[in-house]
Amino acid sequence: MTGIEIGAFAIAALILLIVLGMPIGLGMIVVSFVGVSFIRNETVAMRMIGAVANDSLREYLYAVVPLFVLMGLLVTASGVGKDTFDVFERLLRRVRAGLGIATVFANAVFASITGISIASASVFSRIAVPEMVRHGYRRRFATGVVAGSSVLGMLIPPSLLMIVYAVLAEESVGRMFLAGIGPGLLLSVLFSITILLMAYLSPKSVFDREPDLIHQDPVSALALAGKGVPIVVLVTLVLGGLYGGFLNPTEAGAVGALGALAIALLRRSLTRGRFWSLLVETGQVTVSVLFLIMAATFFSRMLAMSGLPNALAETLLQSTIGPYGFLLIFLVLVIVMGFLIDSISIMLILLPIALPVAKAAGFDLIWFGVLTVVAVEIGLLTPPFGLSVYTIKSALGDRTLKVGEIFMGATPFVFAMIAALAIIIAFPPIAVWLARL
Amino acid sequence: QETINLTVASSHPLAIPWVGMIKTHFMAETDRILAEKGNYKIEWNEAFGGTLYKANATLSSVSEGVTDVGWVFSFLEVPKLPLSQVSSYAPFSTANPPVQLEVMWDLLQTNDAFRNEWEQHNIKVLGLTGTDGYDLYTKQPINSLADLNGMKLSAPGVLGSWLRGTGANAVDGALTTFYTDIQTGVSDGVLSLALGVFPAKIYEVAPYITRVRIGTAFSGAVAVNQDSWDGLPEEVQEAMVAAGQFYTESHGKDLLERHEAAFEKMVEAGASQNPPVTISEMSMEDRQAWVDGLPDLAGEWAADAETRGLPGKEFLKAYMEGLRARGETPARNWDQAQ
Amino acid sequence: MRPETDIPSEDAPAPSREPLPLRLWNHGVDGLAALGTLMIVVLMGMIFADVLARNLIGGSLPLISELGALTLVMIVFLQLGTTVRNDRLARTEFFLDAVGARRPRLAAFVTGFWHLSGVAVCAGIAWSTWGILMRDLSARNFIGIPGVATMPTWPFRSLILLGIAVATLQFVVQAAIAFRRAAGRPERRA
Ligand code: NA
Ligand code: NA
Repeated sequence: MTGIEIGAFAIAALILLIVLGMPIGLGMIVVSFVGVSFIRNETVAMRMIGAVANDSLREYLYAVVPLFVLMGLLVTASGVGKDTFDVFERLLRRVRAGLGIATVFANAVFASITGISIASASVFSRIAVPEMVRHGYRRRFATGVVAGSSVLGMLIPPSLLMIVYAVLAEESVGRMFLAGIGPGLLLSVLFSITILLMAYLSPKSVFDREPDLIHQDPVSALALAGKGVPIVVLVTLVLGGLYGGFLNPTEAGAVGALGALAIALLRRSLTRGRFWSLLVETGQVTVSVLFLIMAATFFSRMLAMSGLPNALAETLLQSTIGPYGFLLIFLVLVIVMGFLIDSISIMLILLPIALPVAKAAGFDLIWFGVLTVVAVEIGLLTPPFGLSVYTIKSALGDRTLKVGEIFMGATPFVFAMIAALAIIIAFPPIAVWLARL
Repeated sequence: QETINLTVASSHPLAIPWVGMIKTHFMAETDRILAEKGNYKIEWNEAFGGTLYKANATLSSVSEGVTDVGWVFSFLEVPKLPLSQVSSYAPFSTANPPVQLEVMWDLLQTNDAFRNEWEQHNIKVLGLTGTDGYDLYTKQPINSLADLNGMKLSAPGVLGSWLRGTGANAVDGALTTFYTDIQTGVSDGVLSLALGVFPAKIYEVAPYITRVRIGTAFSGAVAVNQDSWDGLPEEVQEAMVAAGQFYTESHGKDLLERHEAAFEKMVEAGASQNPPVTISEMSMEDRQAWVDGLPDLAGEWAADAETRGLPGKEFLKAYMEGLRARGETPARNWDQAQ
Repeated sequence: MRPETDIPSEDAPAPSREPLPLRLWNHGVDGLAALGTLMIVVLMGMIFADVLARNLIGGSLPLISELGALTLVMIVFLQLGTTVRNDRLARTEFFLDAVGARRPRLAAFVTGFWHLSGVAVCAGIAWSTWGILMRDLSARNFIGIPGVATMPTWPFRSLILLGIAVATLQFVVQAAIAFRRAAGRPERRA
């Protein structure tokens, strides 16, 4: 058997094992071990497994993972997310379906301090969904909006997915972060347009009954501004530090986490026990993400050893489909894998194969990365495995709420994301202009 | 004709000159020699650019057979390749890569401790690599050595110790982070290589180039796994040894030419930016004051090696004498303690 | 990855139903994870100190980036056991859910088989890491720059090895529980 055949078998075996419910990381390590044993021998495979475990995560950059996760959890615990929503609710109360649009923009702002979409989904399902339902919005719509706008969390910097991509593609994390801003704003606008279209063209899809006018005691501009202060402080700390010249991405994570801790402490929303449980949760998320990254490193090294990515690049680019044919196949593949697998796993499985091809095709790798991230995030909203949807379901803890209902509600936003992909393909500067400035 | 499958890999991309030359010179020359007789043909499986292992495992990956042939980056293998660090602790000694590589190759043949340091890792060295010259690239012009006082300069690892005594502070980082570090004010400039600064476009944010001619450093080797090596036919081994020699020589010359060319390209590319790229030369007096003001870096290094049971002092002496014997005039004779 | 709620409940398994050795083991695994959790705080502090040093003194602290990287690897392995016990490794669920709805014992058997693969993977990593630890010791491996600041790697490596060994055993425990369930024995939570 040639190395290329071994590589192809390994991919097929991995897909089968994943479908059968084997932990994805374990599956990648097992097929990689067997693959290397066939390509070279067991001794090399054994040494590689040790090298991967000890070397592949040994990157200062990866320290951002626990730090951004911790920051997200602290921000949630301290109620900063709720305040952000309150501000937008006030500002948009006269707009039709204004609570939906408020959710989108509150998410966009919240996204600039959290690096993981599930944080956005869990925060806003508890804040925005009850508020919308109370005011006559359909539950399907309300949960759909929260699911849809949660994807902004990993598009607008800081973003765990952008970090993973930057590491794999050897692009600067700072530039990848900048590249997410334009597409993030584009998506926010597209989501708002989607909501407005639904509200005007098919009101039944949005409202159960004519929405109440939101009667609230007039709040002084000062009080409103006061609610906005914590998030503005955190955004300034993280993004300002990052682009103002004081911090690298790892450090921005540490400073942001400390800032969130300070806010939580000042608001007295954190007991010692609760802080500890947040730390424990941070550890668990970190381990599941980094264990996956480690396993995927082994997998991609096995593939490199097999020679499959090189062969694939040659055939794909020399054949008639051309670079844009390849791009289309790649994006469709990402979206299809998104039905079954989580975001980071998709990137870790596909990018080692696709990046050499993208490079050979002469694509701007920053642009390619943004497209990858948007396509990967579609998977957060698609059944059967849609992480944001499950997060909302478990955060709301409402037995009568069926997962299928949330998936249905999120569908319009999936189409908005596909539209965003098309727009970014047609106008690359949306992604690369800021990054290449 | 017999086909032999060999994997060749590196932690760095082909765009790095000496990695690219593994393909254009070492591999191509091996293929050329073998094609003359036509008995063997090598089918190379290329895994350049960190697809097989990262910069933190260049030595172990060759020694453990993850790849057959690979570039070992000795800078990042300080504990395992201690004697190979000598040139980094004896700066201002030579700015002539071909000579430096010749001296190191000579030491590899004649100095048992040095050869053993490499061969004990189950590898055979085929060719050597070095850096081009180190200079200063800063946001503000440097008119004299005194201007360095209080500056924050990106100078990771051992390079930081070259700043000891100048009053400049060393900031950690890597070639990939220098641009944003300078742009955002994390540092005021870098102590780096023209061959790194040019492709990373660092001159855009640090347009003042001060040629200090701190010198070049030995950076590693193209090596083959010993087990893979033992399994190769003699004819292939001979071809690879010859190709390794050719690689080392070509690479040394290339460094010299490319270093000068990089300055011209930077001036050209940075002519329209504001402020434009400007090159100045540090005065001989300032340069000498800098090197004289350094602590006894090489002496400290040699003493540290001695505590590990290595002939640090003897090796330092052999290195410096090798340079002098080939006509180089080190700005400080590190082996002759003051 | 499975959906996480933002605020974790302290879902400590019901202790009364478990035999004493398993309870002690669980405490040990959690203790190791707690050490890893503390290291996250240490990591945060370390990085913050470096930021302060650079912006106040003007230079980087020595060792931070290398130390941070190594600490991170340690954090992952110290907490791997607990992550395995809480079944937090990313996987797809629709197949096992579908099978489990009709034939729960078959689903338990398949799950047990996946845990066994975890035993094999972690044992392999542990074995290989043992070799690396021995080389760390014999070569007196270190991080940092001689003459400025160095630190030996073996203490970190030992903790990494400890973590991976514990994860191996945790997979054994998980497999035993799953196979017990597959055999139709009364369920015991781990
Ligand atoms: Na974000
Ligand atoms: Na999905």
